[in-house]
Amino acid sequence: MAAPNAQLPPGWVAQWDATHQRHLFIETASGRSQWEHPLQTNSPPLDLLSQSPPPDNASAHHATHTKRRQYAAGQTQAYYGTTEAAGFADAAYGAGAGAAPAQQPGQLFTPGLAAESQFASQQGQPPAAQGGYFQGAEPDYPAPAAYAQPPYVGQQPQAAPQIGQLADQFGQMGINPAAGYSQKPFALYTTNLLTAAPDPRELSRPPPEIRLPPNACISNSPFANCDPSYQRSTLNAIPANNSILSKSKLPFALVITPYRSIQEGDDAVPLVTDTVIARCRRCRSYINPYCQFIDGGNRWKCVLCNYSNETPQLFDWDQTRNVAADRWARAELNHAVVEYVAPTEYMVRPPQPPYYTFLIDVSQAAVQSGMVATATRTILESLDRIPNADDRTKVAIIGFDTALYFFSIAPGAAESTMLVVSDVDDVFLPKPTDLLVNLTEARAGLENLLSRLGEMFQNTHTVGSALGPALQAAFKMISAIGGKIIVLSSSLPSIGTGALKVREDPKVLGTSKESALLQPASNFYKTFAIDCSRSQVSVDMFLFSSGYTDVATLSCLPHYTSGSTFFYPAFNASRSEDAIKFAHEFSEILASPIMLEAVIRVRATKGLRMSGFHGNFFVRSTDLLAMPAVPLDQSYAIEIAIDDPINSSFAVLQTAVLHSTSSGERRIRVLTLALPVTSNISEVFASADQIAIATFLANKAVERSLSSKLEDARDAITNKLTEILGTYKSTMTAAGAGASAQLAVCENLKMLPVLCLGLLKHIGIRQSSQIPSDLRAYAQTLLTTLPSQMLIPYIYPAFYSLHNMPPEAGTIGERGIIMPPSLPPTSERLERHGLFVIEDGQTIFLWVGRDAVPQLVMDVFNLPSYEQLRGGKMTLPLLDNPFSQRVNAIISKIREMRRGPYWPHLYVVKEDGEPPLRLWALSNLIQDRADQLPSYQQYINTVKEKINIGGYT
Amino acid sequence: MGPEGWLFLFSVLLAAGLLFTMVFFIIMFSDLECDYINPIDLCNKLNQFVLPENGAHAFLTLLFLFSGQWTAFLINAPLLAYNANKIRSKNHMYDATEIFRTLGAHKKEGFIKLGFYLITFFYYLYRMIVALIAESD
Ligand SMILES: [Zn+2]
Repeated sequence: MAAPNAQLPPGWVAQWDATHQRHLFIETASGRSQWEHPLQTNSPPLDLLSQSPPPDNASAHHATHTKRRQYAAGQTQAYYGTTEAAGFADAAYGAGAGAAPAQQPGQLFTPGLAAESQFASQQGQPPAAQGGYFQGAEPDYPAPAAYAQPPYVGQQPQAAPQIGQLADQFGQMGINPAAGYSQKPFALYTTNLLTAAPDPRELSRPPPEIRLPPNACISNSPFANCDPSYQRSTLNAIPANNSILSKSKLPFALVITPYRSIQEGDDAVPLVTDTVIARCRRCRSYINPYCQFIDGGNRWKCVLCNYSNETPQLFDWDQTRNVAADRWARAELNHAVVEYVAPTEYMVRPPQPPYYTFLIDVSQAAVQSGMVATATRTILESLDRIPNADDRTKVAIIGFDTALYFFSIAPGAAESTMLVVSDVDDVFLPKPTDLLVNLTEARAGLENLLSRLGEMFQNTHTVGSALGPALQAAFKMISAIGGKIIVLSSSLPSIGTGALKVREDPKVLGTSKESALLQPASNFYKTFAIDCSRSQVSVDMFLFSSGYTDVATLSCLPHYTSGSTFFYPAFNASRSEDAIKFAHEFSEILASPIMLEAVIRVRATKGLRMSGFHGNFFVRSTDLLAMPAVPLDQSYAIEIAIDDPINSSFAVLQTAVLHSTSSGERRIRVLTLALPVTSNISEVFASADQIAIATFLANKAVERSLSSKLEDARDAITNKLTEILGTYKSTMTAAGAGASAQLAVCENLKMLPVLCLGLLKHIGIRQSSQIPSDLRAYAQTLLTTLPSQMLIPYIYPAFYSLHNMPPEAGTIGERGIIMPPSLPPTSERLERHGLFVIEDGQTIFLWVGRDAVPQLVMDVFNLPSYEQLRGGKMTLPLLDNPFSQRVNAIISKIREMRRGPYWPHLYVVKEDGEPPLRLWALSNLIQDRADQLPSYQQYINTVKEKINIGGYT
Repeated sequence: MGPEGWLFLFSVLLAAGLLFTMVFFIIMFSDLECDYINPIDLCNKLNQFVLPENGAHAFLTLLFLFSGQWTAFLINAPLLAYNANKIRSKNHMYDATEIFRTLGAHKKEGFIKLGFYLITFFYYLYRMIVALIAESD
């Protein structure tokens, strides 16, 4: 390689790099550089590709590019529906991305054979029918050919699945996922929505691949880019300038879940303990696997702003052992999600201990519903699980009805004294000390108090609630330090500040005035929330009520203080299901670690700006989110604006969370997501992430319904979808702007229309004059806080058929209980003799067909016949037969397979049972037509017509 | 100087005052954008001025009405109605929790009001001079 310049293609120069002792090849036109010789590598850089014709003629392109798609084998199987149950279940419900590709050993090295055998299995026999309950019933899965619509196995108009699988086998062979760049162009796979029915398994596929340019990442670690469960972008390729983005009509936003729970099988977040934190001096971003070392490693170049920073001297030094260390082993250069132990510069005060103040409603309604007894028992049982690593945790309990009841416990004492404050106009603390007590020191007294609290108010007849004054008292108690106020309220606040009125008027429901009911009624809850946020106090609301409790107003407190709202309508602890649900969720919240005194800031490559924020926090400055206590598994959506064209070949979005752990350590959690930049609109489409888009649209819809009307929110969803599909048609398909008999969209956005429809039909958004505003407001709080994994089933419920599920479903496979294959949520799939599950993550419906054979009813419910069965909330008996055990296993798997504290109720729904329950269950089958709401086919036809008219531009 | 001269002299001074209030509002909003002030302090500060500003404007408008200055009254009536409507629907105060979401609208409103006060300032000035000339004739 004496004169590499001589052999270079035009437009390239070679430059000797002294640091790496090799030639760097630079394309002069674009300024892009690479280590490989441009003729030796068959990988044109992304910029070159953008000049190749866009795949308008998708079918022609298809033949050449089909091999280039890569999905892990397990994922592909899940998608294409082989009934290799283990693979399917794993891929669909496995703990998280990153773990999936590790499956299916032994198939990798004979791609042709493997593909063939998979193809065979796909065509092949359905699994042996379970069908012991009725003779001759063919399992309708996985060969649903009996329907008018084409079956969804292999229904892509152009892509034959076996080719895709073949490609996967190749894909697994050689390409290092860490490199991320598969050196192939992004091909766009167009599909026709009118003929391709939505397939729920699409939703368990990973987001479109992130194809970074080669050498973007300095590490070979497979963890160098952020896992989608922590942070995902609606676009996995960022448009180079705003005009491309606005032309595509796709929303650009980030969905982050910075404090995601670590479940079994998840990797813990690596911790950098030596307090050597390399940050850019100019933009304050943290060093990450995408920064380049220059000047022999003495300096590093910030990937966000290109500033050249000094590398900290201790970067190559192991301080604990006092020996030289390898910087390439440092976690921050290998992991996209990393946590630093922060030195004292990051503290305005020593990390606070966790303080918990419980505000327990002890009015008649609360006591009689059994809430007080259940709550105190749950706290009592959870005392050991409350984060208390260094015995600094403090707890206070305040009861309230029309007066406030404080409990004072001297350290070490086993008895508590009750102090009553009945002047709620001017709240004061009756005692300066011993109200907020150390959990360890006052353990005996607390246990005693909690076990007696229910009895103390057993015979109360007080009606009314002084919630506002109680909040003020709790605030006085902990505002010097901060912490959590956990409110358990059973009635509408009626006395003192923050008193609310029953403002719901059934006549207003379903009209344009309805959104006023979803806005806070009193200013107190907003101003109080701001005070709380300032003093690092977070409020959780557990609301129980038999009547109107104004969730819209009360959920304001959790909204602006980063808490959570839980709502238990018509709670009655004498029904064991209610008690179990509340106790489970409450104890999960108590036991979960929290990030205290947190601030979140998202930084991005120059040109990008965070322009809108959705979720539970207080926006303290243009881009700083204040969160007194970050709960586990809460999600936030952040809109991004492209202010200036981006000149680099990839961009980085970095979220930093400065927080104190519940164990008293100041830490910084950094999430780094690197995405390629493209000036090709087809790449933008091909890399759009429908799940992130749906999550973002849910947030936008709620915002719109509050600032304007519910109707506007619904229109905005459909308009956005129409715009996206219309732009796709006019720019990406041969039809152009003219009318078309098809409704084209790329494969990776295939589920977007049905997710939009799910959102339109969601209880928080849908057109109806029957939905109480409390239920709406609660649904809206969930829509804005649930992480994508919970949110997607919440708007697009999962649907399983149990009576004919494959024999392995419900048994324990390699990775837990195997779930039956999920069906599209439409009542076409309901059978009169069948047993079905419909679930949205918050509620599970067990649907029993009216012709269910007695044997099935006997096996599942232990009842002689269908007639004896009663619908409603129930606990399924665990019987001594394999089918009952499998059904129970599936129900319990549904309850635990997603991240979050929720414990869904189980309702048994009889096909000819009470209409309200039946209609509620059926309203979850969102692809059906219901009242004025369209079916999926009607909906996409409407969208198609709108596009053909051209009204979307 | 006759009553009309005095009236417009007073209007000129009041319009100048309102003009400065609007300039202050706009400066505060850009301070917020540059993180020189946090939204809570900003809202506490600005909310003190909202009602006095609206009140001063309403006073001026009513003064025109009662003194029979129909043109001046009609010029000011739409803004009076706009302010009154905002107060009636209780969203005249700045809300710290929503301020970043609504900042664009607030700034726009500030600039429009600023322009309005500027134009009326010159109009009052003109009317004052006209009144003075008419008197001296
Ligand atoms: Zn920088």
